[in-house]
Order: sequence, then C-alpha cells, then structure tokens
Amino acid sequence: MIPKSQFVPRGRRSGRFAALVLGGLAVLTGCASDAPLDTLEPQGPIAQTIDELSDPVFLVAGIVFVIIFGATAVIWWKFRDDHSTDEFPDQVHGHFRAEIGWTIGPTVLMALIAVFTLLTHFDINSEDREDIVVSVGGERTSWDPEVVVVGQQWWWEFRYYFDGLDDVDLSDPKHLPPADIVTANQLVIPTGSEIGLQVTSRDVIHSFWIPALNGKRDAVPYRVSPWKIEAVTPGVYFGQCTEFCGLSHSRMRMQTVAMEPVDFQAWIDEQVQPASDPAGAAAQRGQVVFEGQCTRCHVVNGINDDAGADLVANAAPNLTHFMSRTTYAGGIFDLYEADGSLSRPQLEAWLRNAPAEKPAYAEGRRGMPAMGLSESQIDDVVAYLTTLGSSPSMEVIAATEVDR
Amino acid sequence: MSETTANPIGVYTRPKGNTGWRDWITTVDHKKIGILYGATAMLFFLIGGLEALLIRLQLATPDGTVLGADTYNRVYTMHGVTMVFMVIMPLAAAFANYLLPLQIGARDVAFPRLNALSYWVFLFGGLFLNMAWILGDAPDGGWFAYAPNTGTIFSPGKGMDFYALGLQIMGIASLISAMNLIVTVLNMRAPGMTLFKMPVFTWMILVVQFLLLFAVPVITVALFLLMFDRNFGANFFNPEMGADPLLWQHLFWIFGHPEVYILILPSFGIISEVIPTFSRKPIFGYPFMVFSGIAIGFMGWGVWAHHMFVSGIGPISIAAFSVSTMFIAVPTGVKILNWLATMWGGKIRFNTPMLFASGVVSMFTIGGLSGVTHSLAPADTQQTDTYYIVAHFHYVIFGGALLGIFAGFYFWWPKAFGHLLNEKLGKWNFWLMLVGFNMTFGPMHILGLQGMSRRIDTYSPGFGFEFWNMFATIGAFIIGLGVLAFLLNVWVSARAARHAPPVGPDPWDARSPEWFTPNPTPVHNFDDDIQIEALDEFWHRKYGQDENGRLVRVATAEEVCQDGSATDTHLPSPSYWPIVLAAGLPFIGFGLMYSLWFCVPGGALVLMAIYGWVFEPTDDPDGPHGHGHHDDHDDDGAADEAAAEDAEEAPVG
Repeated sequence: MIPKSQFVPRGRRSGRFAALVLGGLAVLTGCASDAPLDTLEPQGPIAQTIDELSDPVFLVAGIVFVIIFGATAVIWWKFRDDHSTDEFPDQVHGHFRAEIGWTIGPTVLMALIAVFTLLTHFDINSEDREDIVVSVGGERTSWDPEVVVVGQQWWWEFRYYFDGLDDVDLSDPKHLPPADIVTANQLVIPTGSEIGLQVTSRDVIHSFWIPALNGKRDAVPYRVSPWKIEAVTPGVYFGQCTEFCGLSHSRMRMQTVAMEPVDFQAWIDEQVQPASDPAGAAAQRGQVVFEGQCTRCHVVNGINDDAGADLVANAAPNLTHFMSRTTYAGGIFDLYEADGSLSRPQLEAWLRNAPAEKPAYAEGRRGMPAMGLSESQIDDVVAYLTTLGSSPSMEVIAATEVDR
Repeated sequence: MSETTANPIGVYTRPKGNTGWRDWITTVDHKKIGILYGATAMLFFLIGGLEALLIRLQLATPDGTVLGADTYNRVYTMHGVTMVFMVIMPLAAAFANYLLPLQIGARDVAFPRLNALSYWVFLFGGLFLNMAWILGDAPDGGWFAYAPNTGTIFSPGKGMDFYALGLQIMGIASLISAMNLIVTVLNMRAPGMTLFKMPVFTWMILVVQFLLLFAVPVITVALFLLMFDRNFGANFFNPEMGADPLLWQHLFWIFGHPEVYILILPSFGIISEVIPTFSRKPIFGYPFMVFSGIAIGFMGWGVWAHHMFVSGIGPISIAAFSVSTMFIAVPTGVKILNWLATMWGGKIRFNTPMLFASGVVSMFTIGGLSGVTHSLAPADTQQTDTYYIVAHFHYVIFGGALLGIFAGFYFWWPKAFGHLLNEKLGKWNFWLMLVGFNMTFGPMHILGLQGMSRRIDTYSPGFGFEFWNMFATIGAFIIGLGVLAFLLNVWVSARAARHAPPVGPDPWDARSPEWFTPNPTPVHNFDDDIQIEALDEFWHRKYGQDENGRLVRVATAEEVCQDGSATDTHLPSPSYWPIVLAAGLPFIGFGLMYSLWFCVPGGALVLMAIYGWVFEPTDDPDGPHGHGHHDDHDDDGAADEAAAEDAEEAPVG
C-alpha cells in the first residue's frame, strides 16, 4: 500500500463519522483501513477539495438524521396508545406557521449548501495547469501537462503528446494521431503538478476514476471530456471503471503511478525508446510468433508502428514497454511476484486462452482471443515479452499488487 | 360465446356472469382489475426477488462464481427492470385501481374496458419481457440501457430487443391507465367532494398519473429509437455515424427521474391514509401535503441531469441541476415533518399497517438525506455509480415505496378480501423485512464510500469489500424470510377467515370514504351516492362533539356504512376484447425481433379486437338495468352515470 501518512489532509475528519451514522453502522469504522478505492481518504488537493465540501454535509445530514430519528422515537413512545384513557386526541388539522417554518428552514439550509457546492464545483472544473519542462529524446520542451485518456472494452490507454494538444485532432478516437508515448492501464504522472486529462472512448461509455485523486469522469465515445488529477506524494493510486461497459466491466481497472519529477523524466526517457531486437534464441523465436500473430492488434514501436487493430475498438494495448508496467489485461493481473520475479503461470495462462482468464467477446472482436499457440510458442512469446521494456522499481511493484 | 343473428358478423354479445375464470379474464370491474394487478405484480416480485438473491449470492464473497459475468449482467438488468416496471408500478396501479373509485365515491373508473386493457397489456408486456429468460437471451445492458452499449455491436443478442419492445408494450398500459384515472378523478367524484376534499392518496395518485402521462411518452420515444437502431440500422445512438450517445441519457432520465416520483408518491399517499387512522388524528397540514406532492411532481422534471453529473455535460448545466436537486429535498422534507406532526399528540396504535408506515417515514428519511449528499455535484463525482447510490435508491424504493405498499396491503386487505391479515405474522413480516433491509442496504453506504463500483459482477479481495458484502447477502436472505412471512400470512389468514366472524365494516376506525362500503366491497361499490362535506367524511359521521365540546362517538360504523344490499345498480358489462387486443401485442414484438410474419397474427388479433370492441353492444341484454330504479341521484350522480355510459358507447372507450 501507498504510504498515506505522507499526505496530511487539511480538513476535519468529522464528516466520516456522520457518513457512517448515515449507514446506521458507526461501530465498525475501522474496517476501511485497507481500502485503496476509499473515497474519504483524499491523497491529492482536488480530491481534498471535494472531501472538504462533502464532510460537513455528511455531518449536517448526520445531525438531521439524529434529530428526525430522535423525534420519531420520542413521538412513538410518548403518543403510543397505552389504553390509559379513552380520551380522543385533539383533531389538530395543521399549524400554518410551523409548516411555513419547516418549508423555509430547509430551503435556507439548502441554499447555504448550494453556495459552497457551486464554489467547489467551479473550482474543480477550472483549469490551473502550469507548463512542465521535460526532455523528450534529448530536446527540452515546455509541456502543457495533459494526457489523453482513452477507454475501450476492457482496458485504458494513455497517450502523451509533449507538443501539447492544440494541434492534435481527437475527434476520431479510433484513429488518433501518433503520440510520443502510448501506454496502458497505468497512468504515470509527475507529482506536484495539476495534470489535465482529455477523456474519450473508442466503443461504449466508460468512466475514469482514481478516488484518491479526484472524482470520476465518463469516457464517452466520440466526445472528449476535460478532467484533471493531481498527486502530492509519489505512490500508486487505484481506480476502477465505474460506468457499466459490458461483459468485463468489473475487470477494467487502472492505477495512477505518481513519481517525483526527476523519476518522471527518467520514465519518459525510457518510454520514448522503440523496441530493439532481442538477443536470446527463445526471444528471437518469440518475436517471430509475435509478429505473425500478436501484431494484428498490438503495437510494438519499432516493429509495427502502424496503429490499428483487428478489433471493434481498433486498438489493443501498446506493448513496447510491457515490462515497465506491473499489471496487464485491464489492470487485473500482476505481472510480477512480490519478490520482483515474473509472475509466469498467469501470463502463460493468459496467452494460452485469454477469454478463460477474463470474460470477453473474442468472436465479436472485443477482447483478446485464444491464440491457439503451442506450449513451446507460449514459452517463446513470454521470453520475447520480457525483453520489452525494463521492470519498474520494487516500491512500485509492491504498491501495485492487484491480486491481493 | 354465441353469435346473435341480430349482430353484424364478428360482433358477440358481452360475456355474462361474475364468477369463475371466465369472469376474471373478461372483467371490467376496477376492483377485480386491481386484484389482478396486485397478484401479478407480486408474482413478478418473487421473480425479481429471486434475481436479487442471485445477485447477492454472486457478490457474497470475492471472485464469486455463482453466476459468472454474462449471467450476472442479465440478472441485475432484469432485477432492475422487473422491480421498477413490473412490481412497484403495477402494485401502485393495484391500489389506484381498487381504491381510487372507492375513495371518490364512484361506481367504477371512467373507462372500464380501457382499464381492463391496461391490465392485460401490462401482463402480456411483462410476460413478453420475461420470455427472454426462457429463450435464453435476457437483456444485458442494465435497466438504464446506456447507448451505445445497447447497440447491436455491443449487445448482439435479442436481449435488448426484449427490453425495448417489452417496455414499449408496458408503457401503453401505463398511458391508458393514466388517462383513465385522470378522467375518473376529475369527473366522477361524489357530490360535494371538491378537489381539496379528496383523500391524500387520491391526490398523490392523480399527480402520479400526470407524471406518467408526460413521462411515458419520453421513454417510449427513446425505446422506439433504440428499436429502430437495433432492427433497422437507424443510427440514432451510434456515435460512429455522428450520433451523440448522451441523447439516450437525456431521454432516459427525463423519463427516469419523474419515474422515481411515480414509484414513491403512491406510497406517500398510502401512508398519508394509514398514519392519520392509527394516530387517530387528521393528516397534519393537508394543503401542505397536497401542494408538496404537486411541487414534487413539477420539480421532478427539472432534476434529471443529476444522473449525468460525470457524463461530460458542461459545468453550468451541472451547477443548475445540482441546485434544483437540492431544492426538491424541501417538499419531501415537508412531507416527513408533517407525518411526524400527524403522529404528535395522537394516540398511536402500532398495528402492522402503522408499523410499515412508520418504517416508510424513517427509512425514506435516510434515503432522502443520502440523496441530498449526492445533489452536491462535486461530491457526486465520487459517489455516483458506486454502491452508495445503490444504498440510496434502495432506501427510497424499498424503504419508501415498497414498505408503503405493504402498509397498504395490511390496511386495505379487509376492504378487498373481507378479512384481516394475521397481526402476529404481520409483525414477523415487518420486522424481518426491516432488519433484513437495513442489513442489506445499510452497509452499501460504506461499501460505496469505500469505492465499490456498481454493476460489477465480482470484486477482488484486498479492497475492503469482503465483510459488508457477506453481511448484505445475509440481510437479503432475511428480507426473503420476511416475504415468505407475508405469503404465509395471506394463506393462513384466508384459511382462518373461513371459520371466523366477518371483519365488520370498519376494522381500523378509519377516516376516508372508501370505508362507506362494506367489507369486502360489493361488486357495485356504493348502494347510494355519498354526500361529502369534509375531508375524512367517514370519520366525521362517526364522531361529533358533546355539549361540553368533547369529542365523542355519535354513530357506530354499522350505522354509517352502507350495507351493500343494492341490487339494481347499473354496472358496465364485461368484455372479451381487452385481453384479445393485449394478446396481439407480444406477437408483434416477436415479429419485429425474429420474423415480420409473426406480426400478421399479432396485428390480426389487435384489429379483430378493435373491431369487436367498437361494435360490441353497450350492454349485456340480460344484465341488471339500473335505469329508473335508482331513486336518489342528484345531478352529480347522474353525471357520473352518464360519464360511465358515454365511456361504454364511445368508439375508443
């Protein structure tokens, strides 16, 4: 898990209590200690702003809850028919002033909440980005930090254009212009900067959500929706697709990996490199298989830069730096064991028969099909894949472990 | 069924008699139609409940394998569709049909044959949609059916066709019924019953019918477009052809949010009858209750985009819908406080109907408060599409609507069946359901805030979801026990009633005009028109003030109630045609899905039924004729009768 203690939230935590009162189950609040998607544990300033708005409202809701339930309990007890008298109660038909009062009272309360809501709302929808100086292929450039986030069944693609998005045509998500870096399922960002996201989709509607850093934004096909995230502390922040997107909706996860700017630069330096031909014999045989089979959908820069896949979404994860990511298949499988070695059996099973590992409509060209590889071919392809990119740090491997 | 030579070809005399199965399929009696609605909806409730238990079994443990992803998606889709369209809406229709004419002192609804048509269209629509299970292709796109996931590329089977066509068929039922009940309320009230002397239940049903009248056409348009997309390549929702997938969301939620009030307001109406009766006080602030219901009805149209806060609509739209959503909390809050004020100072009897009604007040309060928390658009970006939302709307629809409907069952059971439901089993029913409900949906607030996404068929260990999911599953089975207690109660109470004395006309010391009829309600409802002078007319005839101004009983219920002895009331005759017409619609649906040839028998049935309906003799020649025997109509009563007859004679009536 990420070291949460490094980020000190500014707001009061009282709302959490109220939120759980709302569920009527305040007793077991400690159960959330290991919940990486927790919406009440903001780890960045945007999520913090949202939390500071909702915490007091949870508190107000909790107070109203206690008042109403208290009043109800009192009324039920006090005015129960205990058969002590046969007196008939007064036939009160109403009390105009009281009723006006409890119409106006909540109206005023809601108006107050509305003011704070609108302030927060326009705050988190404003753009406050500053250019970051990065070096791409040896050339220093001032990057307006925006990443194109593309959802498709059932994984995420992240595209980095270091010349900015002004001249990048995002109107056809199935044919996006070539990017400097294309990666999948793990969005890598530098810490300390607001990162703009341009969220879109290649097939159905998905929703991009890293609860520790911000709320969610739907990825709507052929629409581009702006969003943003910001992390303060280096770490790995978990996410999950939240808009129902068909068969494997539950198996469409993602993480945001936040790095110190210097580490982020190192990551860029590595990612912009194309793949080079592998050394070992097995890996070379694997490359032949890969180029015969896998490149129909997957791109490895240096081998088949031509984008486009034999799939409904017209895209499959770019594998140029496959090993630099710690998960695959929509962020649901670990590529590494806890000790940093390759998690081989799961990867082999995936190559052997992907639909058995993760539900997909392979016959409908949605999701990876069973490739019909022989066992020796699988070994060779694994040998080739391990040459694609270098493994991340042990901290990242430990923090992203998904199959927990 | 014999053809008389006097009639043109194909025109039959109307069915006779009011016993046996043939009576049930030809009846136009609003009470029998109400019971049919209720029984059918309870059947669908068991199916929808079974689907709910399957969902909970799948989610009880991480990496669940009970259903698998594909089946899970179909089951949760059908659970939502079933509970909304085939359970809560028709259960409200059951109460509306049975009680609304009685509450306004009418002999039936304005268009009795259309009323029967509503029911049969609903039944065949519901059966059609559930046929999807038998044909192995249930809808898999969620009840909200967001485009383009429902297009033929992403949902290639027939499932979403069942959805689009089944809901269109059931929409016809809702529309017919809405027009029928609006006309009934506006034209057929008892003499003296001004709009503001109508019981709150009738008021809420009236508001709901207007909501249906305007909301159902919107979903029908959306479903119609979806049907064209799927069957004829129309591309209304295909973004690759330039469509905007958010169009579906707008259409769906412009219907979908008023739909929430369509689901909840009948229950508000029911408990607004139950709480005064069991508190022995009139409803507190009747005008506020009525106007807040109307206000909810209006404001319900201005909040739909709060379902779309993260969809990418512009910040200004989000701001507007965020604020409008906050303010719809005000009229609902007024209702809750007025119910509490009704109880305040009363003498509350905690019989089962009152327990359920109290359950509504408290559980709906929770649902309303969590609703306020996601009217804050920024907060909603964290909450939406998580289990926090699932918790919220179950507190509204189960805690608010369904518990209210159960309050209505226990309250009006004697009115429909002439005997009370067993109190002891009723309390078991209530407490099992209440505890099970809170165990199931209470923890979902926590799961949602911990980030558990909605509509996921499984989750991995290590996200903190294990404990509360297992807890919720146990709760769901306790709800199941509560439902079994209700079914057992129905059976046990019916058996016990065979040897028990009749329940009498007024088992609860009730207040509203439906209790002027004896229990169970005779086929003709009222022996004589009732004259309404005040809200709670029935109660005012029983109680008055003595010389010291103290409230005292001035008449027994037996003295006030009618005895049901009239034999000469003119009643609308039964008809074969509603069921025949309705039976044609599923064939047309199958035709659009499989082969257009199926449309031929379907269309033929519909045309034949319309023909027979139009030329059907207005009367059963051997049936009772009330003309002239009825000795005390005044003008309004005559208008009633005229309205009913016009209805029978009008070509489309």
